[in-house]
Amino acid sequence: MKILILDSGPIINLSMNSLLYIFEKLKSKDMEIIITPSVKTEVVDYPLRIKRFELGALRAQQLIERGIICLPEKIGITAESLSQETKKVLSVINSTLKTDGEYIRIVSEAESSCLALSKILSDRKIENIIAIDERTTRTLFEKPENLESLMSKKLHRKVKIANNDFRKLGNFRFIRSPEIVFVAHKKNLTNLKGNRALEALLYATKYKGSSISDEEIKSIKKL
Amino acid sequence: MQEKEHIIYVLKEAIQAIRTDNASKLQQLSDQTIHSASVYQDTDSISVAVTIYSISKVVSRKDSLKIGRWNSFVDKISSALGLAIDALEKGRVESFSSHLEKSVKLMSSFSNLKPYIQDVLRKAAINKASKLYEHGISLAQTAKLLGITRWELSEYVGQKTVNNNPYKTTISGKKRAEMALEFFA
Repeated sequence: MKILILDSGPIINLSMNSLLYIFEKLKSKDMEIIITPSVKTEVVDYPLRIKRFELGALRAQQLIERGIICLPEKIGITAESLSQETKKVLSVINSTLKTDGEYIRIVSEAESSCLALSKILSDRKIENIIAIDERTTRTLFEKPENLESLMSKKLHRKVKIANNDFRKLGNFRFIRSPEIVFVAHKKNLTNLKGNRALEALLYATKYKGSSISDEEIKSIKKL
Repeated sequence: MQEKEHIIYVLKEAIQAIRTDNASKLQQLSDQTIHSASVYQDTDSISVAVTIYSISKVVSRKDSLKIGRWNSFVDKISSALGLAIDALEKGRVESFSSHLEKSVKLMSSFSNLKPYIQDVLRKAAINKASKLYEHGISLAQTAKLLGITRWELSEYVGQKTVNNNPYKTTISGKKRAEMALEFFA
């Protein structure tokens, strides 16, 4: 059994690009696709109240109702245990970067809940990966010194990693919407065929909020 | 409230910029407020950033919006911001927030501007959220701070260029794609 953990970004991204069917095709007997309650709030519960995003929210809700995307209870993780772990993760991450004597709150509950779920699964030796389009969370765990430099440059003041506890949270693995559509294309699971299909799919994910450069798209196309 | 002196400085400069129709200066001042908003994440800094950015949009489209009583518009907005400064100097934070809110209501009170201002305020919130994201705050956290949805923020952020900035590159696109292939194998 392996678990694909979805942050809000890839669901929103694929919904806006009419590619949500990819999740259904990627799901297999030995893989569950899971979202946390906080992510569900962001992609379904809250936008359902806003007419402009109602359709997208309904599409995502349908995937949950049909069991394509599940909540953590499906794999035996209670809302309470996830909530407790999320609070710990949130507290550790938001006590990491410091400037002028103040810790900077860089992440919110939704992203922290994905990390918390990944941590719980890894502790249980269950293979998992987090799909997340936004850059901050990935950068913190993959190259934290980059976040330190980026924030120092943007804020025009020295931002330092003042606490290294985040490094003990685990070795997280991250992919983004572009990698999801890339895999779907490679496995011939997308409805779009032809020479230019992959490029079109990758750029579509970029323009709906995935943090990916043109150079990265070029290198993925070559694979 | 954090960085009170900086907010007072920004608002004083903003009044000058409004009086001289300097929309780009107003946008710069709004961005300056975002630096402290990123660190302290206090609602007042964020409100100042959104309000000044919204005013800049009205100033930049002054002619096309055909605001008949422009001088009166400038006087009223400047007066509201002046009262906000005064309240802040006296440490009356609630009164400060109320005068800032009043300046937004004043923009809407110019009858032909009402529908436009609602749109400007929403876009200003999205713009400021994307600036916070550029400053290293996560998308979910910025959406929460600005009271907007991840849906509208994702779309806006997608229009921004992501170049091969060394600060933004963590692992190569090739390596991540291979990791994905391996996971889904």
